[in-house]
Amino acid sequence: MLTSLAIVVIASVACQVLLVAALSAWRRAGNVYRTIVVVCFITVPLAWFADRLLLGQVLDRDTRLFFMLIHLALGGFFFHFMTLPDRSVTLRILVELLVAPGQALTAKELGRRYGVKTMITSRLEQLSAGRFLAIDGSGRIELTAKGAWFGRFVTAGRKLFRIASAN
Amino acid sequence: MIRLAVPLAGASAFFLVSLITVRLLRPADPKRFFLGYGSALLAVAAYVYVQLWPLETIDAAAGLTACLLLQALICLTMWNAFYSLLWGFSGGLMHDLYNHAALRDIDRLVRSYQGTGGFDRILARRLPNLAAGGFIELQGQTLRLPWKGRVIAWGTLAAFKAFSLGMGGGVK
Repeated sequence: MLTSLAIVVIASVACQVLLVAALSAWRRAGNVYRTIVVVCFITVPLAWFADRLLLGQVLDRDTRLFFMLIHLALGGFFFHFMTLPDRSVTLRILVELLVAPGQALTAKELGRRYGVKTMITSRLEQLSAGRFLAIDGSGRIELTAKGAWFGRFVTAGRKLFRIASAN
Repeated sequence: MIRLAVPLAGASAFFLVSLITVRLLRPADPKRFFLGYGSALLAVAAYVYVQLWPLETIDAAAGLTACLLLQALICLTMWNAFYSLLWGFSGGLMHDLYNHAALRDIDRLVRSYQGTGGFDRILARRLPNLAAGGFIELQGQTLRLPWKGRVIAWGTLAAFKAFSLGMGGGVK
């Protein structure tokens, strides 16, 4: 029983990870999060048929539905996992140190490789692409309705959880 | 499918106890509490589930796995929302832009993040935590990578390559 479940879990993870890696290599400019969601939902029928495909037996409807839920939940974990290497400033700092000569950098050198201006400009471009804000030619930033909603949400969330300062 | 009430109850309890903890106790490091609550509630969910649906068939075992994964995922999503949206870089930027109209200019915004000492606002918040966790060594203005940080950095670099993420860090 446990072996059967382990097979389903491992196959589900392997299938999603390999497909996302292959699609990301094929479409380098693509959005990896969209890829994960698409792969997770496209492959969910495989989980429905996992009893026949992987275990060589026919199981009841509820068990197969649970296999599908397991597959979707693992896709959700994969989505969360991806935010670590893709978005984390902290992990990028560690990688910059790893690839630096002697695995050491001064704050100034780190700033040259991965500095405030690069970080902020890139995030603003992404927020602009996501239509949270608009930037005009002179560098003036205007929040869109969506951006104002997000700003309100973060402000309210910080108040709710009593977060005094962050960043 | 009534079994899905177990993870929903567990996730709701996680939200409530986390909210109460953060609002009333105001811990300096809430993630220790989140981890403790999340783990404890998973154990409770597993116990309750097994009492109601003993693990005698593959159906019951698959149900338990699905319920625990779902509960852990919902808790992780809440946790991630707390840290990524409320404490994260993009959320922080949007908070500053929303609340301070004077910062709605790229140069002024960048200047507001540049510290007066050796480290800017972004590094100043992260480096002491990394040093305290043993992921970097801070020697004056020089940052070094001990073995613990090297392991994490290698793993991150491997993910960059495997999923074609460039150099990550939110920079496209």
